Amino acid sequence: MTDTAIEAAALGKRFGWRQKGWALRDCTLRLPVGRVCAVVGPNGAGKSTLLAHAAGLLAPTEGGISVLGTTPSAARERMAYVAQDKPLYPQLTVAETLRMGAELNPRRWDAAVAERIVEEGGLDFGSKIRSLSGGQRTRVALALALGKRPELLLLDEPMADLDPLARHQLMGTLLADSAEHGTTVVMSSHVVAELEGSCDHLFLLGGGRVRLAGPLDALIAAHTLVTGPTGDLAPHTVVESRTTGRQITALIRPEGRIAAGWQTAEPSLEELVLAHLRAPGAPALTLTDEGDADNSRGGNGGDDDGETNGTRTHGASV
Amino acid sequence: MTTAVAATATVAPKGPRPRGLVWTVLRVHRPALLVWCAYVLLMVGWMLWVQHVSGARIRAELDTCRRRPEGACIDVMTFSHSMNEGWIGTFIAYSSYGIAAWAGAALVGRELERGTAQLAWTQSVTPTRWLTAKLAVPAVALTAGTTVLVLVYRWFWSADEVLRGDEWYYTDPFLNRGPAILAYALCALAVGALAGLALRRSLPALAVAFGFVLWFHLYLDDHWSELWPMRTITGTVSGHDLDALPASHFWPLHLMTTGVVLTVAAAATGAAYWLLRRRTR
Repeated sequence: MTDTAIEAAALGKRFGWRQKGWALRDCTLRLPVGRVCAVVGPNGAGKSTLLAHAAGLLAPTEGGISVLGTTPSAARERMAYVAQDKPLYPQLTVAETLRMGAELNPRRWDAAVAERIVEEGGLDFGSKIRSLSGGQRTRVALALALGKRPELLLLDEPMADLDPLARHQLMGTLLADSAEHGTTVVMSSHVVAELEGSCDHLFLLGGGRVRLAGPLDALIAAHTLVTGPTGDLAPHTVVESRTTGRQITALIRPEGRIAAGWQTAEPSLEELVLAHLRAPGAPALTLTDEGDADNSRGGNGGDDDGETNGTRTHGASV
Repeated sequence: MTTAVAATATVAPKGPRPRGLVWTVLRVHRPALLVWCAYVLLMVGWMLWVQHVSGARIRAELDTCRRRPEGACIDVMTFSHSMNEGWIGTFIAYSSYGIAAWAGAALVGRELERGTAQLAWTQSVTPTRWLTAKLAVPAVALTAGTTVLVLVYRWFWSADEVLRGDEWYYTDPFLNRGPAILAYALCALAVGALAGLALRRSLPALAVAFGFVLWFHLYLDDHWSELWPMRTITGTVSGHDLDALPASHFWPLHLMTTGVVLTVAAAATGAAYWLLRRRTR
């Protein structure tokens, strides 16, 4: 048994022969088991490429990736993957699709779980996949994935086709299942709002590279939103700053005590992500699980101002 | 709450029924299997009809005609018979074109284009096993169907030499009377699968697989007679030597052709596996 769900080492993937065709470059990250991890980033950031590598569907151009302590192909049976466009055979019925899950996963298939997810959506087992709406197809694809009883569940933009109610309900099912069986869930999205409150780990990708990686609480604790009169923010690392009149609002990584004149606040996940997306030049930051600063670039040391002091330590111990 | 769900109720009782990947391939490609069965039955039925119904009538009429003193039986009937015979031979000899198009487009190309291949590879099935099932199940169906066609065609061909229009060295009877036609079917399957894997889209794979098999079939049709040394007949026609293709050369030539086609099939299969292994992990 390993405690690492996904570990990528300098993973890189180039499509075609063009020098510019890198979809993912120098990607180094680690995800412990039992986490619910969000992979966020703008379109073309490399989210799908990262998930497809973890699923063993692509061979890396450089570097490597290991899954559940072994190669993706050796872990095939223990993980499930739902691709972005939810591919299913249109000519099969829902029941036949679940039968396929049973036939192709003879040692793991749990029909009750798969059937429950389909039933919760009020789907008819006899209807053909081609007659289903996008959201209903997503539900069948998720039923197929969860019926496999995976240890690692890789979901590429899972909720894009779902209405808010179904999204909420399916996310609830996913999280309950993850909590009950200790399943590690990795889901990519470019809609940050749908991840808030359900994830405890974050990978932010941009331009094929890792921008932020680590436990969500620790990442949030490593950043502070400051507002104050225009002035120098040194020695802190400024991720992004905006000036309105004489006021400046900035997302910083504090290096030591923040000066007294600044109003500080803890950023939300969305603020954290958006600030990094707006500032592609900001240095990358990787935090390890224990929250120690060993593996961090850009700095995580020093004391915070009183307001953020509490969040710092508890982010680490989750 | 889900409490101890050990119920795997939908897994049907054991028995001699297809399971796993074989079930999946059969279910997904059921329409193609039905079309293939219909084609084989249609060809067999056609041959039986030509031999027993229309052929018998023509033979009877030829008999009565020859007994008349004025003689001079015009071969209109025989002509229609050999037309039928020609069409049957053509439909069998060129079936590999359709097989290549199907294998490229529907068997593999569309699966990669739609992502359903990747769906299978993320179940407990390796890409290699997936490709093996994708090739083996159709190969069994093609072998069974083609064997029936070859046996019936051989009977059909040898049944009456009187009404026969084709010579043994014509393309259709040359290919259809032995394993060469099966080799072509398997070759088309492998080439289609390779094209589908390489191009990952159904229409380009269809075009390339069809185009290759068309070219290969026509090319080999021009060259198979070189696969076995001709018999040289000395000094028969005005003192010149003559290279002849005696009917006894059918089997050597046929088996050599089969060998060439199977070599291409094996190369395409190997390339398909190599490509798949290189692409996925």
